[in-house]
Amino acid sequence: MRHVSKSVVVFALLAGCSLRPAEERALKDLQVGLAEGSGLTVTVEDGLAVVRRLEPGALTLWGSAPAFHVRIAAAEGEPEAWTMVVVRNAMADAALTATVDDEPLAVEAMPGPLPTVKRWRVRLRPGAEARLTVAPPDWEEPKPFRFAALADVQEALPQVEDIYARINEDPSLRFIFFSGDLTRRGTVEELESFQSHLEASGVPLFATLGNHEIITSDVRWHEYFGRGNLHFTFHGAHFTLLDSGSGTVDPLVRPALDGWLEAGREAVHILGTHIPLLDPIGVRGGAFASRNEAAALLGTLARGQVDLTLYGHVHSYYAFSNAGIPAFISGGGGAIPEQFDGVGRHFLAVEVDPAASVVRTVSLVRVD
Amino acid sequence: MRNRRGVLGMGTCGLLVLALALPSGSALGQPAEAESAELESVGPMLPPLDAELARPPRPRFSLLPATVSVVPGLLLHGLGPLVAGETSTGARLFLLQGAGLGLLAAGGVPIALSGASRRVIGPLYGVAAVGLGLFTISGLANLYGVVGPAFEPGVAAPRLPPLELEVGYQHVADTAFRYRHFVSVGVVARLRRVRLEAGARMSPDDGNLRARVGGAWRLLGASESARGTADGSALDVEVAALMHRFPTEGFTLGGGEVFLRGRYDMARVGARLAGSFAELGLGLALQGYGYTAPVVDDSLHEQLLATFGYGVYLGRGGPFRGEVLLYYDHRKDDFPGGFKGGSGVPGHLGLRGRALLGEDWGLSAEVQVGSAWVGRLSLVYALGGES
Repeated sequence: MRHVSKSVVVFALLAGCSLRPAEERALKDLQVGLAEGSGLTVTVEDGLAVVRRLEPGALTLWGSAPAFHVRIAAAEGEPEAWTMVVVRNAMADAALTATVDDEPLAVEAMPGPLPTVKRWRVRLRPGAEARLTVAPPDWEEPKPFRFAALADVQEALPQVEDIYARINEDPSLRFIFFSGDLTRRGTVEELESFQSHLEASGVPLFATLGNHEIITSDVRWHEYFGRGNLHFTFHGAHFTLLDSGSGTVDPLVRPALDGWLEAGREAVHILGTHIPLLDPIGVRGGAFASRNEAAALLGTLARGQVDLTLYGHVHSYYAFSNAGIPAFISGGGGAIPEQFDGVGRHFLAVEVDPAASVVRTVSLVRVD
Repeated sequence: MRNRRGVLGMGTCGLLVLALALPSGSALGQPAEAESAELESVGPMLPPLDAELARPPRPRFSLLPATVSVVPGLLLHGLGPLVAGETSTGARLFLLQGAGLGLLAAGGVPIALSGASRRVIGPLYGVAAVGLGLFTISGLANLYGVVGPAFEPGVAAPRLPPLELEVGYQHVADTAFRYRHFVSVGVVARLRRVRLEAGARMSPDDGNLRARVGGAWRLLGASESARGTADGSALDVEVAALMHRFPTEGFTLGGGEVFLRGRYDMARVGARLAGSFAELGLGLALQGYGYTAPVVDDSLHEQLLATFGYGVYLGRGGPFRGEVLLYYDHRKDDFPGGFKGGSGVPGHLGLRGRALLGEDWGLSAEVQVGSAWVGRLSLVYALGGES
């Protein structure tokens, strides 16, 4: 939102823009986690992982959530053999279990090169569909945990490892919940670079995209980091990430969102999206394109008993409330900072108590 | 509300920049000839528009200036009139363009350098909006200046009706809302320097209702109800209250706003621009959203209001008369919202027209595009007639 000259150019092109600029990305969401080849048919439930590679005897995934399930069907007539399953961006304590019709399959854990890269061998049965679960062993138990919230790295990608180092200093932070603008333009080179720098983090990063990821004409987000709209649970807490990179939520997403809100109604539910629904500095308007769409969505979130909204886009720190929901903007990943705010690079440390259905604390952690 | 002073200040600044393009001796809303004595009683006046400018010999349409006004005229805004031989008009448009770019830079560069800081963003966006407005106006004037001579230019109506009623249909295509069909009603009352307005859009299916009540005080220029031979140049301060109810979605928007709006008849810039006018305005709204229980929200939200546009008068005092305006509106709480994909900053574009087809009856229409497409067509009844 700082690039005024770019905004002028963009504005000149806006008259021809679609009323649903996020539709194509919402459709791409539905294809995430589906792959077929080398005698295997792979379906990641709820699209919570990207199939990065599928080749004879090996499957490589990129995790978009702390815990997810994968269904793998080995073709009839194929010889029974070990299949290597590699999960990148995995929880450090993730384990893999596999079953066919509730019968466990043989699984062997292999050493991984990084805390967030996990490798296993699984003995798949030809002609049968196996269900694999990749998750920390206690991921369904409702117990307190903490996570880091971060957004807006953009051109500060070369320095982002400082932030990961600060996060690594606190072993109680289980993962990074990232609200968009990982990169400056969303090019393949930048996505690759972000992924490469992320190896410095001891915990995985689960993200939605921001407006900067869609500046490139060749948006490849889904091939690298998965869905822009997703929902997952961890220790009984519900997390939803929405793609607001175009200043709107596509109507295709609304039925799924309604389902996620219903699923998380009685639990603690945290929602992250890049562009704030309403900018607390109203004259700036770094928010949804339609204030009324934003207000309607906020009403839906409030009635769905969302407990916390986390935003990026504005490169500073704000604590406020929207429709009565506690809200934080934390765009402290290093992109051109808001001046005169005395904040600098930062992230949020969020403590959740799922058993009590509350967000205990949201703390500002300065990096600079 | 802390930015009100700065925002309104910039609105005045933009109008002053527009006024820099004035030929000497011309000014806002002053009658060219005889009726000045009567009109002086209804508002402050500035020196009269030169009679030669008001009724100059019509320049001829020529293909070369028309072509040059597009390429490279879209970048060099005085080029069309310059090639057509109107050096002074071309120079004034270059001045306007330069002023626009200067203000855009004066607002935009500090925004970029300050990272859109909350402490300075309101006034800076105001400056940038005025700059963008002047830049757009000079660009459109450049096109009009070479295409306009192909047509007989219209003039501002000497007298707008004291009471104007309208009823019509509005269609909204918005992917975020189910409503589509609206009944549109409105009323305008004009009493010397005061204009009172009220309007509503009601969706019979959905129950959605947007109602706005406001008024304007003419600071400069002739009264709309007694322009006489004066042009349409004017400066108004407007205040309004707004209520927008969304029963299906369970919330209501309410708020108030203050706005400074200027209109400048472009014949004052050059004879080739006769029949056209520019508008520019800045203001501030303070709004809140109320939700149906159990949701409670007591936050108030500011909104920068800014608009600019370029229009033409229709008719020359005959039975057909009115005006059409192509405009940009920065507000994002109306049916069209703002354009998607611009980081939430841009507002919407619109084309609005109103014409009386006889003594009392006429039509008004509007098309807007932002987050949604909005189209409206209304029947207008001018009580007391318009001349």
